[in-house]
Amino acid sequence: MKNKTHIFLLLLPFLGISAMMCVSVWNVAVQSLGYIPAFGLTNLTLEYYKEVFRNPDFLSSVLVSLRIALWSAVFACILGVALSMALIKTQKARGATLYAIRLPILVPHAVVAVFVVQILGQTGLIARLGYALGLLEDYTEFPQLLYTPSYFGTVLAYLWKEIPFVAYFVLAFMSGISDTLGEAAENLGASPIRGFFEVTLPLSLNVIAKAFLIIFIFAFGGYELPLLLGSTLPKALSVQTYLSYMNPDLLQRPLAMAMNGTMLLLSAAISFAYALAIIGLNRKIGGAK
Amino acid sequence: MRKHPLLNILLVTALCCIFLPLAVVLLWSVTGRWPWPGLLPESYTLRTVKELFFGSASLPKLLLSSISLALTVGILGTVIGVLTARATELYRFRGKSLVYMGSFFPLLVPGTVFAMGIQITLIRLGLSDTVTGVILVHLIAAVPYCITIMTDVTRSVGSKLEQQAQVLGATPLRSFFEVTLPSLLPGILSSVSMGFILSYSQYFTTLMVGGGRVKTIALVLVPYIQSGDRALSSVYSVAFVGSALLVFFLFEGTIHSIQKGEDSL
Repeated sequence: MKNKTHIFLLLLPFLGISAMMCVSVWNVAVQSLGYIPAFGLTNLTLEYYKEVFRNPDFLSSVLVSLRIALWSAVFACILGVALSMALIKTQKARGATLYAIRLPILVPHAVVAVFVVQILGQTGLIARLGYALGLLEDYTEFPQLLYTPSYFGTVLAYLWKEIPFVAYFVLAFMSGISDTLGEAAENLGASPIRGFFEVTLPLSLNVIAKAFLIIFIFAFGGYELPLLLGSTLPKALSVQTYLSYMNPDLLQRPLAMAMNGTMLLLSAAISFAYALAIIGLNRKIGGAK
Repeated sequence: MRKHPLLNILLVTALCCIFLPLAVVLLWSVTGRWPWPGLLPESYTLRTVKELFFGSASLPKLLLSSISLALTVGILGTVIGVLTARATELYRFRGKSLVYMGSFFPLLVPGTVFAMGIQITLIRLGLSDTVTGVILVHLIAAVPYCITIMTDVTRSVGSKLEQQAQVLGATPLRSFFEVTLPSLLPGILSSVSMGFILSYSQYFTTLMVGGGRVKTIALVLVPYIQSGDRALSSVYSVAFVGSALLVFFLFEGTIHSIQKGEDSL
């Protein structure tokens, strides 16, 4: 009995935080269904979801945000894992090199937007290098990479931060596997590449998938990078949602919440897919034993 | 020792990609004129640095408020992390896996959605436009990482020594503070520093819940980027990253010296 009180007290602040999350999700859910008594709206309806889904701008915002999230997560995971392996195999998994790799984790997203403008903008460093090398005669010849509907600059900015994040996130786990089982496979005659693809990588998929999920959802709902580096149309979903949310016309509020609700549902769907993948993965690894 | 030319090339490329933009932003922060197509600035100036210290948003005050806000978040997040980890790692109870899943939950809800969802509740509680409100929403971002770090450390430290101290007559509180806490300290410091970084780089949640009343360096920087002022956005970026690095390395240095002290015992 005494233990139970102990556990409850220890968990109390955590429960407070979780309650705050649940309250927020609840607010989004009811407001998106049209229940905002403060504005005199009390009828539950799916009308707002229907309305946002009839809006082609909203649909392209959804696609843009999904694309940003997907490219960011896919490339961050591939290159991050490669970077992690490079650190492990060259035995630089600690010390100065590791600190340098961790540096981007400390740099705020807004600052990364400044980097991208200065390096990849039409008058950025790369365009200037191109001119110096005689590859272009004027900056207008440099491809417009920022502020375009492709959201190339936004994805690149995410990658600058998230590749090192993945490398650091999976480092401890992968180096544990690589130094023991990976080395064992190599000692038994597997080539380093085969050792990596057949032993270290499959056994690390759990933690890599977790990193993928974190980045996907973060980039999916991220605000400042698509705001600063993206196009006017289509806007990223979070940017579009905030605009509607701040609209002085209060009837826009349930629409904004329906957009938030859509973002929540899509995040839940990808989390669910992750959970299924992990269960399948563990069954496979467990079955192979 | 095998050579790994490809992996070395990858590492060097990564390091270049990390340091090049930092160098360029440093250069821009003291640039007077840098017209196309020059590879280096035409003239240098300290105007921007002056603006930084004596301009409309005086930097020392701004840094102080941003850093103290972020440190508060780091410390509170770590307290939550320590307590939660003690519950899950030292006790048996039903629903433990729910706690593990729950600590991951904030990472599954986009920060923008969370902020817009919680705002109406914060307004009702009178926490909108207050520092307390901003600390609360920043905590959401920090807590998953603080809990993860503290769970790992608590698991490896365990409770055997603490129990021994209690068998020898120490009160539970004393045995925690004098036996367990010192061994948790490196983990605690890295958790505080993680929480600090996460809060320090928040933009949207501060904008939303702080309502312009709570000023952080991120909030001052973004309008300069939007207005396309390269020199000023660079000088604020340098101050932003520089101060974050300073605090981070203070923590890392302390952790390092603690661990060194332990090794020499």
